Amino acid sequence: MYKKIMEIDLTTQTSRVYTDEVLFDEFLGGTGVATELLHKHCDPAIDPLSPENPVIFAIGPFSNIYPVSTKTVAMFKSPLTGELGESHAGGRLAMAMYNAGLNAIVIKGKLDFKGYISIEDDKVEFRRAGTIWGKSSLATERILREAEKDREGKASIVRIGPAGERMSWFGAVTVDTQRHFGRLGLGAVFGSKNLKAMVVRGTRYETIQDFKKFKTIYDKIYKAVVESGEMKKYHDLGTSVNVVPLSKIGGLPTRNFSQGYFENAEEISGEAFAEKHLIQQIACAHCQCGCIHIGMLREEFSQGKEHMYKTFKVSYDHELVFSLGSNLSIKSPEHILRLLHITEKQGWDAITVGVVLAWATDAYQHGIIGDKETGGLALHFGDDKTYMEVLRRMRDHYNQFYSDLEKGADFCGNKYGGKDLAMVFGKNEAPGYMTGENAFLDWMAVGVRHSHLDSAGYSLDQKLLVEDIPLEKQMAKLVEESKFRMLLNSLVLCLFARNIYKTDIILEGLSALGIDWDPERINKFCDKVYKRKFEFKFACGFDIDQLELPGKLYRVKTASGKLDPDRVKERLRLFREIAGI
Amino acid sequence: MKRLQVIDRDQCIGCFSCMFACSRSFYKALTTEKSAMRVRVYPGLEGAFSIRVCDACLEPDCASVCPTGALIKREKGGGVKLIEDKCIHCQKCIKACLIASLQWDREKKIPIPCRHCGICVQYCPNHVIGMVDMKEEEAVSHV
Repeated sequence: MYKKIMEIDLTTQTSRVYTDEVLFDEFLGGTGVATELLHKHCDPAIDPLSPENPVIFAIGPFSNIYPVSTKTVAMFKSPLTGELGESHAGGRLAMAMYNAGLNAIVIKGKLDFKGYISIEDDKVEFRRAGTIWGKSSLATERILREAEKDREGKASIVRIGPAGERMSWFGAVTVDTQRHFGRLGLGAVFGSKNLKAMVVRGTRYETIQDFKKFKTIYDKIYKAVVESGEMKKYHDLGTSVNVVPLSKIGGLPTRNFSQGYFENAEEISGEAFAEKHLIQQIACAHCQCGCIHIGMLREEFSQGKEHMYKTFKVSYDHELVFSLGSNLSIKSPEHILRLLHITEKQGWDAITVGVVLAWATDAYQHGIIGDKETGGLALHFGDDKTYMEVLRRMRDHYNQFYSDLEKGADFCGNKYGGKDLAMVFGKNEAPGYMTGENAFLDWMAVGVRHSHLDSAGYSLDQKLLVEDIPLEKQMAKLVEESKFRMLLNSLVLCLFARNIYKTDIILEGLSALGIDWDPERINKFCDKVYKRKFEFKFACGFDIDQLELPGKLYRVKTASGKLDPDRVKERLRLFREIAGI
Repeated sequence: MKRLQVIDRDQCIGCFSCMFACSRSFYKALTTEKSAMRVRVYPGLEGAFSIRVCDACLEPDCASVCPTGALIKREKGGGVKLIEDKCIHCQKCIKACLIASLQWDREKKIPIPCRHCGICVQYCPNHVIGMVDMKEEEAVSHV
């Protein structure tokens, strides 16, 4: 492991690369190292959209080296939540950072022109991007890949769309072929720095010291990925295989979390997408699974006068089928793909944008907002054409209301009313599970980044349908899983491979790289990283005692039953006690 | 005689597992860049990959243009091998390989001829490439 960090100052257009053995020895990489760098470089009091907000990228000791260790961790102060911003993306970025000989990149300051940075090994070039400012996320990739094609090594293109330029609080940063640092508004932070893109490439590599030992563990992991069936779900139908089973148990959020059963679930299922639209699965660099499902939509564009067709391709998965499908009562894959395509081009976080549309619809239906706000558009669940127009108006900042929608459901709920209809957890819009209290507690409090990937509470909720688990044990499981993921996210693995990378495999993998850890050290490490994140969150003003679930959730039925306010309180108490937070 | 061939490029998911395997096995290098083959990515066309492997030409252009005889035909079955000492790093061989299969080692400034050993095939999850039995006279270009 290089143990190298690149610091880039956009204001002075300077950079330096230095080695930090101590930091990587103690915190491995990924989320462990990024958390420490955030503490070092980010004053918790800063405005997230000020030049002082650092953007930190970090890879881990397994990145580029073992199968499915494909993610890069991004860390920053989130404009959406005002506290810890952490998002993970795949693509080729982890490989490209490794090739550049960098385990972490810290970007600070602000360019005094609209530009992008191009990193090759130790060198950074600060380039003008006036000509691509305003270009879609998809076009930006095409243009930059061509503009940089004569340089060495496989490049990763990391960029924002117009949403990030406008500093939408849920602007995403897109990596290569439609992978995303989607959540918590990294795109806005890029935009606030006048930074359209970061291109990374390099010519470095390390050599294997003990080839036999390395090959043994590599082949073990490879076989598990390709032959064991542990990852079949992800490359076969993909996560959207969940759509129908979730709906059947009443856990698929429908019409802004009004119910967990979607009557048209089968029409937007993973199976339906596969049958009509799936054209290919592709992979992140060094992942033999290949879970990226590309859907294709062919459209006639001469209004029937001639046979003129255009075709677009967009990636889809469960979360997007929920956010732009069931949660808006959209029952056609074609309509979902169209909404996804504009979302992809604009560079919004696709989960958040759907939940924001759902809030607006619910608020409109309850008379909380009206035609004055919407500019005459009547918002109804299921009306895909109007939703497309809403997205266009958000894109164009048609009026103050549409500008405000780009700040998320929590902001709008506070400003316009209907806060109890805003499906946000710690101010972050909900992912696609209406399974019960464990999922909600995970997103609101236990999970460090308000993500369904923090500790899989949705999975625990589903266990409750067939098994009685005492409340205390449920909370202990959530905390334990959250903490263990500090290790997975420091290595940095794709969490889809979490059933392959058990502790013994991880230790063997580390050992083959000359890093000798044991289970006790892992436990201490996980506990420390978890707590260090909460230290930052608390310093930003995150207050567990002030947390509340969206009011509407107490009036609906989840897969595991109705919510109980007293039990939710008790869960929060147990969480603090068990986690030592 | 078995030779590496592209079986079906349309099944490629772009994981680069083949290139990692090649670099790892011959150079112990944790990179794709020491590989004797390439998976190419095209911008903007999500999911379009082009696989460039040595075609084991019986009359290899890369060897024909080599001014020093550093790159020579293998005795049997097509393909080339490198006599490193003779290489003057002119890259004529790279330019001569129109299908851009012959790779260049940027570090050592020499070509990386494919050994047709099949290690890349062992690490391909989707049967994109394969080791194909062929008679000597059949070992001509197929793209």
